[in-house]
Amino acid sequence: MVDSTAADEPAGGSLAVRRRLDRGDPSTFPEWFNTRKPRANLIVARWVPLALVGLPVLVLFCIVVYPTVWMFYHALHDTNMMRLFQSNWSFVGLENFQTVLSSERFGDSIVHLGIYLTFGAVLQVLLGAMLALILYELVKNNFLRVVLLIAMVLPMMLPPSIVGVLWKFLLTPSNGAVNQALLNLGLIDQHIEWFNAGMSLWAIIIADVWNWTALPLLIVYSGRVSLPPAVYEAARVDGAGAWTTLRRITLPMLKEVIAIAFIVRFMDAFKFVDLVFIMTSGGPAQSSELPAYIAFQRGIREFAIGEAAAYAIVIFIASAVLITLFLKYLKKVLKAQGFA
Amino acid sequence: MSKSNYGLVKLLFLTFMGLWLLITLFPFYWQIITALKSAAETNRTIPTFWPEVMHPENFIAVFAEASNFNALVDSFIIATGNTLASLFLGTLAGYAFARFPRQAGGENMAFWVLSNRMFPPVAVVLPMFFLFDATPWGTDSHITLIILYLVFNMPLATWLMMVFFRDAPRELEEAAYLDGYTPLRAFFKVTLPLVLPGMISVAMLCWIFAWNEYLFANLLVGSNVRTFTIVIPTFTHGSQSLWNLQMAFSLIAMLPPVILFILLRRYMVRGLSLGVVKG
Repeated sequence: MVDSTAADEPAGGSLAVRRRLDRGDPSTFPEWFNTRKPRANLIVARWVPLALVGLPVLVLFCIVVYPTVWMFYHALHDTNMMRLFQSNWSFVGLENFQTVLSSERFGDSIVHLGIYLTFGAVLQVLLGAMLALILYELVKNNFLRVVLLIAMVLPMMLPPSIVGVLWKFLLTPSNGAVNQALLNLGLIDQHIEWFNAGMSLWAIIIADVWNWTALPLLIVYSGRVSLPPAVYEAARVDGAGAWTTLRRITLPMLKEVIAIAFIVRFMDAFKFVDLVFIMTSGGPAQSSELPAYIAFQRGIREFAIGEAAAYAIVIFIASAVLITLFLKYLKKVLKAQGFA
Repeated sequence: MSKSNYGLVKLLFLTFMGLWLLITLFPFYWQIITALKSAAETNRTIPTFWPEVMHPENFIAVFAEASNFNALVDSFIIATGNTLASLFLGTLAGYAFARFPRQAGGENMAFWVLSNRMFPPVAVVLPMFFLFDATPWGTDSHITLIILYLVFNMPLATWLMMVFFRDAPRELEEAAYLDGYTPLRAFFKVTLPLVLPGMISVAMLCWIFAWNEYLFANLLVGSNVRTFTIVIPTFTHGSQSLWNLQMAFSLIAMLPPVILFILLRRYMVRGLSLGVVKG
């Protein structure tokens, strides 16, 4: 975050500057901040920013940090519903984690997550990147381009509950539209049982690909739009063909944007539960459960709070790694765009 | 690569995109024609790809049950309340980050705020369940969701407002100070009008996310307060399946986010640079 005032101030913020800042020395305030009442400046420039940020941060502490700490605490205790209300849980160390990590249910859900990541998240990014580039490079009419973009991004704006219900309806085995369409096209000769044990995860993945391919598409598209035209002009003058331009210029320059799209989809994969709740409830026989879904299920429906917390912590750690990675890339991209 | 070859490849890619468009739009088509069918027609063994008799009155029949209308009202109250709260808090923090970056905690603080948006809800919702249970209004109320949706909407509002405040020229504010304005007055008279268009777009974005939210609503509310997102999936309960009404209701409910999205296209792409679009 290179701010506009940074240039006016001593770089970095050495210890001496920080000390003066603590005392509220006017010389450390942004140079431009200079009202008619110098004494008021002391108070305003020192305390008002803190107060402005303080309230939102306080809210975040209450609704994010406190719950996380609560989860960490109970992951190490044998809490369940009854013990929670009698408040007589006791410390059990890492037992919950052991239960979780060695349970078959968790192992299965990790396999499901792997399938979901490969055929959901990865496919979405590849599809999205491809469609974005096709749209930008091959459709030259501006109006048409915008219309097509809106049409392709539309699914993303739907509430997940509607996406789930819609696809549950479309994939109804006996008289659903998808089965009927496939029959009419001659691709299958009997109905596919979409919500049977082997297929229900794939039903979720199909709905998710339909829903979220738009996100990487939009990310890559906006990345492509912001690439400097001068480079392409130069390539054209040098006689580079369409393929060469794509391989040597566009893709290398979009590397970070595509990485961001991947990370965003991976982060979402760890949180992803909406469609599981709506379309299959994890079933049949837990064949479409993802880790986050089990955490909810154990905690809120089955009241094994300690174990649910352990699930949540495992997910939290995976997400934290991805979030850190994401922010690192984001900083880089934002700086490259002179944006932050 | 020869010229004709290139043309062929181009055609291939365009066909691919056309196919994807078809896949994208088919569910919408199906949703719309189902909403216009009669209940009997939706239950045929072989589905019809065009309604035999149009039943536009389905869209009104949805509201014969008062609970459906109430669900939209509940969603509206929650989305609007949360938008106002996010916008208020986001404007405060965004202004501080844009104008007093060092005093406000600097880059790390700003990125920490943003990181909350990507937080897995599973780490939040369980403790919240018990926390709100202990409050006088209980879990099952509007205020619960208004507060909880701040988890993903406030970081978004903060960051976008920060960007808008940075774009608003600081010199105007300086000039106002020299004219003897107090900082508060300068903010309201000079800076706020400049960022107002941006602020409205942020409000719309936040509103869409709060309107669409399913998970928190599903787990925390359900009897006094029912958002449409938890009413729609349970629409077919009982022996009767009413796909046509369900689709009609979902069409009505998804209209606001779709319209707002088309209005917001430009800002959407901008929000994307922050990787913050998903709720």
